[in-house]
Amino acid sequence: MNKLINTKKDPIDMVEIKVDGISHISIKNNKLCEKHCESRPCTYYCPTGVFHWDEKNRRIEVLYARCVECLACPFGCPSGNIDWHYPSGNAGVVYKYG
Amino acid sequence: MPNLYSMLWRSGAGISLNKNSSPSGLLFFGDDFKMPMEYDAIVVGAGPAGSAAALVMAQNNMSVLLLERGLYPGAKNMFGGTIYRQPTEELIPAFWKEAPLERPVVTDELWLMEKDSAVKIGFTGFKFAKPPYNKFTALRVNFDSWLAKKAENSGARLMTKALVKDLVFEKIGIAGRKVSGVVLEDGEQIKSDLVIIAEGASGSLAEKAGLRSKITPDDVVLYVKEILELPASKIEDRFNLEKDEGARFGMIGYPVSGAIGKGGIFTNKNSLSLMVGLYLNQIIYKRLNPCSLMQNFKEHPLIKRLIADAKPLEFQAHILPKGGYEQIPKLSAPGVMVAGDAAMMISGRRGTDLAMLTGKFAGETAVQAKSAGDFSEKILSFYDKKVRTSFFMKDIAAGKGSKKYYERHPDADFLLSKIANESAYKYFEVDLMPFSAKLDSIISEIANFQSLSKSLSDIYYGYLHWGVF
Repeated sequence: MNKLINTKKDPIDMVEIKVDGISHISIKNNKLCEKHCESRPCTYYCPTGVFHWDEKNRRIEVLYARCVECLACPFGCPSGNIDWHYPSGNAGVVYKYG
Repeated sequence: MPNLYSMLWRSGAGISLNKNSSPSGLLFFGDDFKMPMEYDAIVVGAGPAGSAAALVMAQNNMSVLLLERGLYPGAKNMFGGTIYRQPTEELIPAFWKEAPLERPVVTDELWLMEKDSAVKIGFTGFKFAKPPYNKFTALRVNFDSWLAKKAENSGARLMTKALVKDLVFEKIGIAGRKVSGVVLEDGEQIKSDLVIIAEGASGSLAEKAGLRSKITPDDVVLYVKEILELPASKIEDRFNLEKDEGARFGMIGYPVSGAIGKGGIFTNKNSLSLMVGLYLNQIIYKRLNPCSLMQNFKEHPLIKRLIADAKPLEFQAHILPKGGYEQIPKLSAPGVMVAGDAAMMISGRRGTDLAMLTGKFAGETAVQAKSAGDFSEKILSFYDKKVRTSFFMKDIAAGKGSKKYYERHPDADFLLSKIANESAYKYFEVDLMPFSAKLDSIISEIANFQSLSKSLSDIYYGYLHWGVF
């Protein structure tokens, strides 16, 4: 599980996110994560813990509602397997300070 | 631009460029008919690059549409830095009299940090507390909103919650194409002579325009940041400041677990900005979690006392495209220019100011293109030339060597920090050794750690890489 869970505070509690009805993040090919990705770096480099390895279903679970649009995931996935788009203009992170 | 057509267009006559309208409707005007256009220029992104471009064009009587995907300008933006006075004045002279800034920075420090110690290098200059100042801490939501408002006040039209999905291309010649507008997420097309892409780090439109090189995790720095509320009086006590003075500390070593990257703390008026950022490839390789790094950083005894009793206000995270010289894409194509982070305009700590400067250059080139009535590559490539001969491009080019160095020695900052702190502990420890013997033992310890020439080159590249911290 992501180390994030162990930290005292969930960063998501400190930021406003307007959650869209549809996910703006998806995994292109689940088999690639299951068979060809040993370390699954998205499960630890994502600052807000959007990606989790779902052992039961043998795939990456995408908690898109936690996304603050930092843009790390599309560049960080070693096999370019994360399909990331901007959430709709009405949704996503709304910073108050920046 | 033919004004009559433009007026027709604005009055709603002619056709509606809507996804539901039949494309054949366009043929009504004939193939070689120049489409009436709503705007001279569309700018995608109301960050510092986009608003700067929109401001310059609007000041020169161009009709400008500034599109921002966020709820308001700045809603999606973060920075780990300061607003620099001289580059910003290139755009708006004496901006500091009206811009929403936090504190002028008088103190800059670099800490080589270890678990329970730090070697500090710093400077405090009170000349910087007086007009015209040197640089300011700022909150991006306030600053970006203000800059976009400046563009609006000059006549640009700002549209928020407007996500651009694609560019409109028109054919020129047999194989050529020209950008002639944008497509919003609902499929609506908005046409313009020119599009300036200032979409930020993602670069997805720049890529569609063929103005983006491939980006890998070693071109990307990932930052996480927290804004912590603290009364001004406490900030001033803890950072040794008077009212209307600010400080900025950067830290290498401990905050990024020895990787190449940095921690930082900035004083705002009534809050502190705390951040940690490091290369994404090292996060992946070392299996680090950015939030755990932030947590460790906050628990460091030297940070803990600075942020004690501060109330968390906001968490932020974003990447910075720090690919360096080789990654700077071609900056223009027919009907389109790219500015700011989308163009990978980052040099050391500088990014926000380079965004404003490239936005300004793009805006100026657009004004030239408009007066020539020519939006071809030939005219727009003046923008490329302006950027490539700028002072900051020389810095970006000079940074080439340091990027390679850190690829070869990803532990350079860690070693430097470690050696500095161990030597300092020894040096400052009062013991029962003659001073000359103590110096000898420190020197031999440093030499045992790694060769002196490697230590010197780590310092040299550290200096190049971090510039003025």
